[in-house]
Amino acid sequence: MFALCDCNNFYASAERLFKPDLCNQPVVVLSNNDGCVIARSEEAKLCGIKMGDPEFLVRDLIDKYGIKVFSSNYVLYGDMSERVMHNLSRWFPRLDVYSIDEAFGWLGGIRNLEAYAPKIRESVVRNTGIPVSIGVAPTKTLAKLANKLAKKNGGTLVLDTRQKIKDAVDIFPAKDLWGIGRQYYKKLEELNIETVGQLRDLPEMWFKQHMTIQGQRMWNELWGRPALPIDARTESKKGITVSRSFRNYIEDADVLCEAVTLYASRLAEKLRHNKLRCLYLQVFLYTNKHREDHPQHFPSQVQKLVLASNNSHDLVQAATRMARKLYQPGIKYRKAGCIATGLLPESELQLNAFNAHDYGKKDAVAAVLDTINLAYGRGTLRMASEGYEKTWRLKHEHLSQGYTTRWHEILRIG
Amino acid sequence: MIRGFQQRAEQKITGFQSPASDYLEGRLNVADVLVIDPHCTFYFAMDSEAMKSRGLWPGDILVVDRSLVPVHGAVVVAVVQGTFCCRTFDNSGTNPVLTGDTVAMESSDGENLHIWGVVTAICRGMLPPGLKKGRYSRVCAL
Repeated sequence: MFALCDCNNFYASAERLFKPDLCNQPVVVLSNNDGCVIARSEEAKLCGIKMGDPEFLVRDLIDKYGIKVFSSNYVLYGDMSERVMHNLSRWFPRLDVYSIDEAFGWLGGIRNLEAYAPKIRESVVRNTGIPVSIGVAPTKTLAKLANKLAKKNGGTLVLDTRQKIKDAVDIFPAKDLWGIGRQYYKKLEELNIETVGQLRDLPEMWFKQHMTIQGQRMWNELWGRPALPIDARTESKKGITVSRSFRNYIEDADVLCEAVTLYASRLAEKLRHNKLRCLYLQVFLYTNKHREDHPQHFPSQVQKLVLASNNSHDLVQAATRMARKLYQPGIKYRKAGCIATGLLPESELQLNAFNAHDYGKKDAVAAVLDTINLAYGRGTLRMASEGYEKTWRLKHEHLSQGYTTRWHEILRIG
Repeated sequence: MIRGFQQRAEQKITGFQSPASDYLEGRLNVADVLVIDPHCTFYFAMDSEAMKSRGLWPGDILVVDRSLVPVHGAVVVAVVQGTFCCRTFDNSGTNPVLTGDTVAMESSDGENLHIWGVVTAICRGMLPPGLKKGRYSRVCAL
């Protein structure tokens, strides 16, 4: 049996945990740069706010219903996610963390799941303060479906008999099924298929024909035959990206390089964290495609590094050089990013006969950088070319505190 | 008690091997006895004199464990009418109430009372101003 545990409205719940006056109040969380709504409390959903709505479009609703707005505080969400996942892992022989707020658990050998699942839920909710829902079923696909139904069923739902599974799939809309995208949904609409029950009654050949091997797996999973194992790890990363929008438009090459410096150093940090080096570095720039009155420019360039590298110095140097080459005066840039590809494990360094290799020094500097930033906080020690004013820094006007990660930001209470 | 993973700087000895090298233990870390379950522990700072009689002073760091269920006499972090506060949990009557030194906020009926977590320990810096210098200014400082 598999369980899918999922935090309800995770970002909104995490914000409300430290703002008890917002209990039962509508709350939304905005994406990076305060752009779109990416999380809503149940009350905010009832106010008519949709997922992905741009902030400026729903400002009237926000004012009308007094909805509390938060910028995304990933420092907080990351820590709360670890707490939830760790608490969950105490209850499962194996746990596969699927995303920041979801995890698949394997329940092999555990009996009386009807009693076990609510116990898990109670304990996690009490220990972390984050509400979770748990769906249990013989396959991952059905567990995901059970999880969605659980939200309206007191938080847990166990589908452990044929009849229970049948009752669940018969009421579950096919468009909400895990793995059914917009394209497949169109196909199902043509066939007049509305529920998952109708979908799984189609012959196996139909799945094979229209949805390839994934469809065949889905068909098996819907009939309770596991086709997706618990540790269905995606293959190792092919590339790592750091990209962000700017607060305002950037029109100046030096300012642009400041931003690219930050992204490239962050990328180097990520590579070091994963013990990887990259052989290729790509830099891209975007303008705002929604502004038809602005001249558009979406340049991008890839450069092969002399040697696979992960130290900030090499990557920043290559990235800023490319950014300067791509930059054109008179264009309003909205976003930039760096992508590292050709990833090699740190241990497999290939030397180049024609280049003296002085990684010793640069890597030692990078190691010092990481140590200091770990102890004193990210960004304490950084490349000077990042600049000081950082007017392009992301907008987050409604940011809450680092309640669980910074001593000077813990709550003071009476 | 399970100790956290010990990071002990191994000394590079250039001459004779240390006779103590086979007997190294992890050095004591006060966090081991203050925080029993880090994944359920949160921190708050006391900012009022409402709990002076229980020995809690303004500026104390409260170690709060959410996994514990409060019993009579426990010091808890609670939510009363949408505001966090630190009080004693009094379960002697028919309904649980919160008590503190100031009489103003004490009785609160069960419906508006929500226990957020149990205070397991407090941390307080003891240095007089004259010694709060340099890196020692950070002892329990917020």
